[in-house]
Amino acid sequence: MQPDVAAVNRALAGLQAAIDVVEAPIGVVLRCAQKDASAVLKHLRDGELDCCMLIDLFGLDTGEKVEITYHLRSLSRDEDMYVRCGVDYDGNMHSVWNIYPSALLPEREAAEMFGLTLSGHPNPKRLLTTDGVPPLLRKAVPVRSAEEVRSG
Amino acid sequence: MIDPHFTVSEDGLMTPEGTFSPGSPPAGIRRVPKGVDSLGTEHLIVNMGPQHPSTHGVLRLIVELDGEEVVAVEVSIGFLHRGIEKLAESRRFDQLATLMDRGDYVSAIHGEQAAALAVEKLMGIEIPTKAAWIRTLTAELNRLASHIVWFGTFGLDTGAMGQFLYAMRDREALLDILEEISGQRMMFNYVRPGGVLADLPAGIDRKILAFCDTFEVYLEEHHALLGCNEIFQSRVKNIGIVTKETALAFGLTGANLRATGIAFDVRRDRPYDAYPALEFDIPVGTVGDAWDRYMVRMEEMRQSVRMVRQLVAGMPEGEHMAKVPKVLRPPAGEVYASVESSRGETGIHLFTDGGATPYRYRYRGASFFTCQLFEEVLPGHLFADACMLLGSFDIMLGEVDR
Repeated sequence: MQPDVAAVNRALAGLQAAIDVVEAPIGVVLRCAQKDASAVLKHLRDGELDCCMLIDLFGLDTGEKVEITYHLRSLSRDEDMYVRCGVDYDGNMHSVWNIYPSALLPEREAAEMFGLTLSGHPNPKRLLTTDGVPPLLRKAVPVRSAEEVRSG
Repeated sequence: MIDPHFTVSEDGLMTPEGTFSPGSPPAGIRRVPKGVDSLGTEHLIVNMGPQHPSTHGVLRLIVELDGEEVVAVEVSIGFLHRGIEKLAESRRFDQLATLMDRGDYVSAIHGEQAAALAVEKLMGIEIPTKAAWIRTLTAELNRLASHIVWFGTFGLDTGAMGQFLYAMRDREALLDILEEISGQRMMFNYVRPGGVLADLPAGIDRKILAFCDTFEVYLEEHHALLGCNEIFQSRVKNIGIVTKETALAFGLTGANLRATGIAFDVRRDRPYDAYPALEFDIPVGTVGDAWDRYMVRMEEMRQSVRMVRQLVAGMPEGEHMAKVPKVLRPPAGEVYASVESSRGETGIHLFTDGGATPYRYRYRGASFFTCQLFEEVLPGHLFADACMLLGSFDIMLGEVDR
């Protein structure tokens, strides 16, 4: 279900990036800088771990920054693992769509919902909401009732 | 791929083998070679949707056409966006089922199940065996109801009007059973953290078995009427081929992934609830075309009936709900729980901070990942086939936009 940390470290050997591999309750989580995400994902996809699928990509407002999680799956090894990178509020997220095309829409959603800019993406438009809607999934944006929305 | 029964002769006539002789009137389709036409041509941009009947919901496609051929597609979504992920952050954990019903509203049990599994995993709740079996039973009945809707609308997409009416007849029988179990036709709100809301009503097993008996006959009839129709076969065979590599790259799951030949099924590979106790086969395709997707789903329905029979026969005695507190407060942490819904892997990524509501609730809808594949698969096909292909992937816009 999840790879052992030694195998992940072996797979990442030779990569020039600061990567922190931890065994969290949810599984193996790799932490790295967002600018290194493409290189890390490429290693995981092509290397021994054979992470052939990006199952999901989403953001999380931790209260200090936005964390982007890449949920990877290897079918040959039957394992799931996570790559997680922090991005500042209003920061920039670099696309990984040329590693995993399944990131195309989720990246747009994450950028829109957390107010990030998206670079390296073929179509970096808003996805689900219209112009002027605030980054909805940030903790600073409250859930308002329909009454409040109507009265402004 | 060119059909081997047809050959293209040198002057551009596509004729059935052996029937073409020079001098006779052209029998077949006249193909004008590129560059022969002296009229200037230009590409046409067609806005399809968000209310087009073939989009199965509020999907908008911006299609660039060269004559009848699709050149490029852009998927535009968000017309059904209700902010389920944000709303979940102000709901108690037992209220999540209500939101999940509005996600994939044609197979709502699976969404509820995913939400309940996530909370149970985090709190370490062991659910009674009977609860697990009831969940699996309703999930399989719901899968049948969802696949039969797909079958009917797929028939519509290919021009087979009658199939839709037969499919709705069967679905109505299924919804009656589900209504009797849960109290609701579609928005069941039945699967809760700790088990299910209510025990099975008395005598429902006979109704389910009676349904299985008739449906097994009806299913073969459906296949005989639609699948064995030569016109239908020529519309779907070798159209919309998705290779294994493309399927993996675009994160396809469920029947669409299995149709490419990859046998991954959450029910078998990440078993939950009563699936470890059941016997079922996982159908896979070989080519990955619309025909394979059709055949995989038809076989899944047979397997679902098989599972429903096992579940009714072996339904254990006992409680339908574990002892859980009125207000659930899972410990701080994060968890991922996934189920095999009718459309693929429905996953819930739940973050909690020890409070009575989720901190972050990520809803992975399988159709969200399927619909981005249209930009890759549709170009190169005829526009009429594009509508048929949308049907073959069976997307649900409720879980695309969430």
